[in-house]
Amino acid sequence: MHYIKLYFVCIKRSMLSRLEYKKDSVISILSFLLSNACALGSIFFILQAIPSLKGYTPAEVGFFYGFSMLPIAIDHLFSDEFWLVAYRRVQLGDMDRHFLRPIPVIFQMFAETFQPDGFGEVIVGITMIVICGLNLHVSVTFGAIFVLIIGAVFGALIITSFKIALSSLAFIFKRSGPLLQIVYNFTVYAKYPIAIFPKVVKFILIFILPFGLFISLPVDTLLYGNYNPYLLSLIIIGVSIVFFTLATLIWTLCARRYESTGS
Amino acid sequence: MRRLRKYKPFVRASAIDMMAYRFNIITWAIVTVFEVACLIFLWLAVYQSSEGGIDSSINGFTYKEMIVYVVLTTIFGFITFNDDTLWFINRDIRQGTIGNFLIKPISYRGKFIASNIGAFLMMSIVFGIPLYAAGLGVLIGIGYLPVASVWDFIAHFALFLVASVLACLLNGVISYIFGILCFYTSAAWGLNALKTTVISFLSGTLLPIAFFPNVFREIVTYMPFAGMSQNPVLILMMKYDYLECCKVILISLAWLVLLELFAKLLFSRAIKVVTVQGG
Amino acid sequence: MIEVQELTKIFRKPVRGKGLIGMIATLFSRKYTEIRAVDGVSFNIPKGEIVGYIGSNGAGKSTTIKMMCGILTPTSGKVLIDGKEPYLKRRIVAKDIGVVFGQKTQLWWDIPLVESFKVLKEVYQVSDSDYEARIKFLSSVLGIDEFMSQPVRTLSLGQRMRADLAASMLHNPKILFLDEPTIGMDVLVKDKIRTAIHALNAKYHTTVVLTTHDMADIENLCSRLIMIEKGKIIYDGPLGDIKRRFGNIKTLTLTIPPNIDPNEVEPFSDDIIMSVDEDKVILGFDADKVNLEHVVQYAFSKYHAIDMKIADISIEDVVKKILSQQEEEHAKAKKI
Repeated sequence: MHYIKLYFVCIKRSMLSRLEYKKDSVISILSFLLSNACALGSIFFILQAIPSLKGYTPAEVGFFYGFSMLPIAIDHLFSDEFWLVAYRRVQLGDMDRHFLRPIPVIFQMFAETFQPDGFGEVIVGITMIVICGLNLHVSVTFGAIFVLIIGAVFGALIITSFKIALSSLAFIFKRSGPLLQIVYNFTVYAKYPIAIFPKVVKFILIFILPFGLFISLPVDTLLYGNYNPYLLSLIIIGVSIVFFTLATLIWTLCARRYESTGS
Repeated sequence: MRRLRKYKPFVRASAIDMMAYRFNIITWAIVTVFEVACLIFLWLAVYQSSEGGIDSSINGFTYKEMIVYVVLTTIFGFITFNDDTLWFINRDIRQGTIGNFLIKPISYRGKFIASNIGAFLMMSIVFGIPLYAAGLGVLIGIGYLPVASVWDFIAHFALFLVASVLACLLNGVISYIFGILCFYTSAAWGLNALKTTVISFLSGTLLPIAFFPNVFREIVTYMPFAGMSQNPVLILMMKYDYLECCKVILISLAWLVLLELFAKLLFSRAIKVVTVQGG
Repeated sequence: MIEVQELTKIFRKPVRGKGLIGMIATLFSRKYTEIRAVDGVSFNIPKGEIVGYIGSNGAGKSTTIKMMCGILTPTSGKVLIDGKEPYLKRRIVAKDIGVVFGQKTQLWWDIPLVESFKVLKEVYQVSDSDYEARIKFLSSVLGIDEFMSQPVRTLSLGQRMRADLAASMLHNPKILFLDEPTIGMDVLVKDKIRTAIHALNAKYHTTVVLTTHDMADIENLCSRLIMIEKGKIIYDGPLGDIKRRFGNIKTLTLTIPPNIDPNEVEPFSDDIIMSVDEDKVILGFDADKVNLEHVVQYAFSKYHAIDMKIADISIEDVVKKILSQQEEEHAKAKKI
């Protein structure tokens, strides 16, 4: 209970800091929307030249793109501080004050920044899903909606787990931003149906960096009923819990290393 | 020439800065390899799905040409677009040091042009030569970039170098203009993101301009951005004949002059904001 | 309240090669250099005491403080804060301690001070009534209400330190660690901070451990001194003892006109030690033995001083003196 209240107090603090830079926020949200529009525009311009992309119509590809934004956006909302941990804060020795508070450091990282830019992505993503979905005349089943929501929420947890684990390596190596960047950028593959990729890439996207698991497979379930939605949901939840547990474990181990070496 | 000598330290400093970022460059390289691979997979799927199959031409590009285009624009962007102009202007505004440059015998704009050229030279020599040599070598070797006549290739390569320098300078002046906007907004992060988005879309880095719908395509073709990525790369790919090469180079040159004049005007207006605020 | 037993911290640093190849080799090599930052340190600090923990740069002060706060784990030995080892029970001990690092703030940069306090109130679960009472008291001694609604980045160094002190006292810790609390401040501000530390100590009986470079901090605040050099304690005892051992040493720094050769000026007496540093003449003397007024008069009449500055002995000098004295004793002991 204390932590829930504390979280909201911290978030309010984070928003107050953000409001100090109103103009910058407005311009960055605008350019963010614009860059999504450009990426989407590019895809549609390409798709106009061909009948379908490996059997996927433009509306279906759009649906994929829109849906892929949701887990990425949810992660973006809550865990932006880990980027700073990976790139700067450990290197600058700017973590001590968190280790001096009677609260788990990892909780403090989540509470340190709430990134409202993520709402822009959520809105764009949902809008695209709705527009493309209406165009597709999909038969909406409860199971499909369920697995999409699970995919978005627990998919975000998987992305966050990668961020936690990789940023905590900074406690040992001082700076792990580049590594985090490399892994995170694999999300570009998540924007397309995995069916368009070669087998090796498909394998990676399901079993190693499971972006395909929580983006492609749920959408395939909605569009074609390829998988049992409840079984798939169960798998996604299971995988995300495993990832998150491992990530917090790695964080704890690395943070202990920090406590024994200082900065 | 002697007048230019005082800018030499800025050329040097900027070149050294670039080396200091070698860690970031390695990261960039790995990220980019994966991203380019993703694009290649995407284009493969696109061409396999097209009516004429993998050998068909879409909007004037065959699959092979498209791969060449993707690889070359990536190398091109890495070598050509390295400038911190916007961040430096923002810093000068925030720390109030911009006033110092009004007294110094060095022109504020001149300093940035010198830095742009320094970064460009250093990147070209250290990374450009091996990257272009390897990239072009492989692409020509596997037959994706056919070379009918060596002389034709050399001539196009020379024109490409001219277009590259113009692209670098265009990028510099656009950064400078966005930097001056920091006077009014004090929002460097947002403006930088906006700049990057606009340039990468309208310069044809994301997608060749030929893919854009009709009227939009016509407009974008004659905007300065086309000369910043697509046109130099298409010159290098020998997709333009000499007349077209000269045309796009002249367009870039004209834009460069126009934008420099515009920047000068904008700066003289913006600097009044500072003097009024007493920054 | 604080027990430190045989505390040792050894840092192992990999031997770094030069250049890119050296960097890669470092990743695989097992060569380390060992630095004993803290070396078998023991002391006890009872409740309510104000202790100065001093030493020159790199002597091991910060490392000890970090181990006492729980953000560093000792290589051997232990620290007990109210009976608990902080690095093992970090989150429990954190409630009992407050920490202020002079160089870094724990406040949030962009928001009004009061908003930072509100967050810390939740972090430490301070009740509304306690919070109000403490804010009221802290405002009265630290004067923070003047800038309560200003963003922290707009505060001056002194204001920020007062704000940080208040922030670290919100949860009424049993122990307050202050690392260089007066660094970079002018005399008036330093004085304000010292008065405040006294008031906090008097009201809440907070145990205070402070590191400083300023002898005046110690004279004004500390009843006891712990002095550390190269990781080892070289002195632990009341400030009065140090004074008795080395006298009330002061230095008078003179700027003299170029036509005066300081070596030709007749000496005052054996009690004054003169040294020359470019155009400056430094006179060292024991203020308990020699009358300050006489020294000043002497400086003006004989040296024709243009300018002068009186200063207390610096911590570095005290450390040097203690070390040289110990060496002498050591040498004597060996002879016998």
